[in-house]
Amino acid sequence: MKSRTVLLVDDEAHIVHVVALKLREAGFRVVTAGDGREALAAARRELPDLLITDYQMPGLSGLELCQRMKEAARTSSIPAILLTARGYELDEGESRRSGILLTVAKPFSPRQLVATVHRLLAA
Amino acid sequence: MPARLLAIAEPRPEALALPTAQVAQIADLAREAGICLMLLDRHGLLAWHDAAAPAPFSKLLVPLLRRGRALPENADASDECGDARETCWTVLEGLSVHAVPLVHRRQVVAYLAAAGRTSAVADGEELRRACCQARIDLSWLLAAAGQVPAIGGAQLASLVRTQAALLVQRLRQRDADREMRAIATHLSNAYEELALLDRLSRGMRLGRNPDDFLRQVCLDAMEVLGLRGMGVVVRGEGGIWRPSLFGPIAMPLDDVEHLGDALIERLDQLRKPIVLNDLAADASLQWLQARARRLLAVRLERQDRLLGCLFGLDKQEGEFDSVDCRLLTEIAAEASIFLENTRLFDDVHGLMMGLLHSLTSAVDAKDTYTCGHSERVALLSRHLAEKIGMDRRTVERVYIAGLLHDVGKIGVPESVLQKTGKLTREEFEEMKKHPLIGAHILRNIRQIDDVIPGVLHHHERYDGRGYPSGLAGQDIPLFGRLICVADSFDAMTSNRTYRGALPLEVAMLEIRRCSGTQFDPAMAEVFLTTTIRELRVLLEEHQTASGRLLDFQRLLRSR
Repeated sequence: MKSRTVLLVDDEAHIVHVVALKLREAGFRVVTAGDGREALAAARRELPDLLITDYQMPGLSGLELCQRMKEAARTSSIPAILLTARGYELDEGESRRSGILLTVAKPFSPRQLVATVHRLLAA
Repeated sequence: MPARLLAIAEPRPEALALPTAQVAQIADLAREAGICLMLLDRHGLLAWHDAAAPAPFSKLLVPLLRRGRALPENADASDECGDARETCWTVLEGLSVHAVPLVHRRQVVAYLAAAGRTSAVADGEELRRACCQARIDLSWLLAAAGQVPAIGGAQLASLVRTQAALLVQRLRQRDADREMRAIATHLSNAYEELALLDRLSRGMRLGRNPDDFLRQVCLDAMEVLGLRGMGVVVRGEGGIWRPSLFGPIAMPLDDVEHLGDALIERLDQLRKPIVLNDLAADASLQWLQARARRLLAVRLERQDRLLGCLFGLDKQEGEFDSVDCRLLTEIAAEASIFLENTRLFDDVHGLMMGLLHSLTSAVDAKDTYTCGHSERVALLSRHLAEKIGMDRRTVERVYIAGLLHDVGKIGVPESVLQKTGKLTREEFEEMKKHPLIGAHILRNIRQIDDVIPGVLHHHERYDGRGYPSGLAGQDIPLFGRLICVADSFDAMTSNRTYRGALPLEVAMLEIRRCSGTQFDPAMAEVFLTTTIRELRVLLEEHQTASGRLLDFQRLLRSR
């Protein structure tokens, strides 16, 4: 089976490194980006199966990134996981409208995140 | 030596820690130019050569070089990069080798070398001897050499130099990749630990069942450390050490208890973690080796006082190391804080509840006719709160509110409380003060300020004709509406100075009749779903509840 592509976005490079490593070890193809704009370009180019993005980023926030992807027909059906700071609550309607399947609070367990990705992409 | 053994003895590029694929690529490139690629180890011994190279190299030159140190003596092949030099020498007339040291991390890891035909291979004494030694036919060799394209010395040097530089660059890249991977793996483990500790500290809600908490601690630790079993020993009933074990590892209860005792005994003395990577070698825990091979145990402690221990069994991969030890110690520190806080909480909570019961007993004692009323209202209120579907904590608060609802009667003259006839207007005004007095008494106890609305408003009526504030409908605080039903029900079903107790069934009818006027219809409706049988059980429980005061007195004595 063609390996599934995950677009991973965070302005904190160490998080990108760690999560990308774990996702690759689990057999996913991983495309990374360091900010929202870079991610938007990568999403249009790669048409990933899933987006994992940090919420708090300079420039385009994770939520705005999801909304922009939702607006464009080519990327509108790509589901997203939003990484947020603990205690941050996203309005449920807003997250559904933006294609966000779930939010994961930092600090998170990379292993559990990979398990979640497996579950989401298997369905 | 048999050929097969030789083949095995021939090291491949990766034995020199060089990337095989890239070496093979360079060999292909060289072969096309009629050159034989070779690798010398850091001592200058021939370690590998392109077996597909033209015959003059593979059949004659390689055996010759293999006989001793390939690199000539004048090229100093020491480990120091400063001394290792690029070397070019003629092995046999017409056949030259150019070798370049591969310097990585300030060390010569190998030499990249290439042999080429730099001029005509001519018949001569040296060549004849070499052919003889290699058992090959001289004229065949000369013919074969004629087929090999010639290459200039400078060209040969340039090729080896360029490829050596690329190879070294590749080594650096590979190292950087490995390092990055190692860091990312390390970081990933740190994230797992961080996420675990974060989860534990968030799970340390006071009032949470310690058994649930410890079970979760064990399951989480087992997952992060990659263990087959994780256990905990804490004091149970009567201060007896009580071990539990979780995970796929199977062990009879006797063994778990035996292990728990052994660990506690040792940790009590040792005061630092126990790391046993070979249980078979440990005299006192040898018996465990049928169940597990490795064990890690750390103290649960507060200010040096041993509260118990956490222990892990059998890592899925490898031995217990200092990282595991540190992580389990941190987990133990978190768990210890929780255990200590839980103990303090239980003590303080017990003390508070004891005081509240004493206080209400004092109130009830003032009015002998209402003996046990507060306690029963507390039980009935709790029952109603549970039926409404309130969470555990809120149910508990309702109970306290019920217990204290009449505390203000302390400030009402006994002549009024115990009067058998109808109260005069003044006396009734006096009586109506008790919710206010109660709220006033309790206002300074921060821990129970949330129950005050229940105390203050339990005599409000749903139609707004109650006291002290004359609130109506949903403006009456929830606790007030709730206790109002329980209070009225108990008042009707117990003996009063002015009348005897009504049967439970009659009291229920009365609750129904006054639903919507005196009582919140929603509360009344839920209360009416209670069966008479349930009520009897509940009120019998009151007898048991009275016993709690004795418990409290015992608690005080034990201090």
